[in-house]
Amino acid sequence: MRLSLLLSLFLAVPAFAQLKWDTMEQSLKSKPGDREVVATYRFTNTGTTPITIDNVHTSCGCTTAALTKNEYAPGESGQIVARMDIGSRTGHQEKSILVTTKQNPKTPTILRLIADIPEPLVMKPTFVMWGVGESPKPKTIYIKVTDGFPIKLLKVDSDNPDIKVDVSEVHPGVELEVHVTPKDTSRPEMATLLIRTDYPSDNPQTYYAYAKVK
Amino acid sequence: MTAFRQAGLILLVAVGLAGVTAAVHPKRPPFLAPPRDPNEVTLAQTKPWAGNILWVDARSESEFTTEHIPDAVCLNFENWNDQFPKFLDRYNPSQRVVVYCSATSCQLSREIAAKLKGSGVDEAYFLEGGWEAWKQQNHP
Repeated sequence: MRLSLLLSLFLAVPAFAQLKWDTMEQSLKSKPGDREVVATYRFTNTGTTPITIDNVHTSCGCTTAALTKNEYAPGESGQIVARMDIGSRTGHQEKSILVTTKQNPKTPTILRLIADIPEPLVMKPTFVMWGVGESPKPKTIYIKVTDGFPIKLLKVDSDNPDIKVDVSEVHPGVELEVHVTPKDTSRPEMATLLIRTDYPSDNPQTYYAYAKVK
Repeated sequence: MTAFRQAGLILLVAVGLAGVTAAVHPKRPPFLAPPRDPNEVTLAQTKPWAGNILWVDARSESEFTTEHIPDAVCLNFENWNDQFPKFLDRYNPSQRVVVYCSATSCQLSREIAAKLKGSGVDEAYFLEGGWEAWKQQNHP
C-alpha cells in the first residue's frame, strides 16, 4: 500500500524532464570588431523514447538558430547554435529562442541569449535641437571612443552650410567636443553631422549625429 | 501512530517533488519576481499623457506597415540610421516617448527605449504588454 502510494507520486513527475539542457540562458559580452554574438545550447534526451524537435523560432529577425538534426534517441545529445547579428545594436540585448518538440508542442522551451554589446563611440547627445525663434546659441555634442576600440576620430562635417560645427579636441582622435550653431533659427533647418573615423581600416565607418531647428 | 508516520512521509515526498518542479520546470511561477524596470509603463499610466505622447513601434517595418498605433513612428535597430532622422522630424522634447513591440517574445521596446535615452531623449519609456496590450484595449 505504502509502496504503491510512493510509486504513484514518483510516476507523477511530468514529461518535460525528457530534454535536459546544460544551460537555458547564456550571457555574453561582445568584443570590439565582433560582427555577431554566438551562443551554444547543449541538450540531452534523458527520456526513454526518441524526441523530435519540430521547430526552433527566434524572437528577433537579427538572430538565427541552427539545429544539426531533428530527432534524438534516448541518451543522445545535441546542440542549438544561436547567432545574433550585432549590426547597430549596442548595450544590453535579450533575445529568446523557442524550441518546440513534437511530443510537447504546446509548451516550448524558452532559451535566452543575453548580450552586452559595448558602443564603439559614446555620443552625448546624438542630436541637438532649437525651437524656431529660439536664440541660436551653440549646443555641444560630446564624443568619445570607448576604451578598447582602435578607432581614431578624423573629422566632423555638417551637410548643411546653415548649421556650422566647430570641433575642439579634448584628446586628439579619441575625445571631442562638437559645438553646433545654426546661422539663424527663423525657419526650420536640419543637418546631419558626419563623424568620420578610420575604423575598420577596410571600410572606415561614419557615425551620425543630428541638428535640427523646428 | 502509523497513520501519522505515513502522512508525514507522503508530505515529505510531496514537498520534495514540488521543490524539484519549482526549481526546474520551464513554466514555474515567478515566486521571486524581478524588480520592475522604472522605465516600464502600463497603458493606464500613459492615459494622463494623452496628446503628448510619441509612440514608437520597434517591430519590423512589415509589421508596422500592416498595423500600428495611430501616429506611431517605426524605429528599430535594423534601420536605425534611416529611421532616427524621421523620428526626430516628429519628436518634440516636451513629449513623452513610449516604445512598444510585440509582447509575446520581444525585448526590443526596452532596448530601443534605452538607446533613445542614451541618445538624449530623457522621457523614453516602454509599454508593458506591448502591441498586444494596446490592441486588446483599443480593438478587443
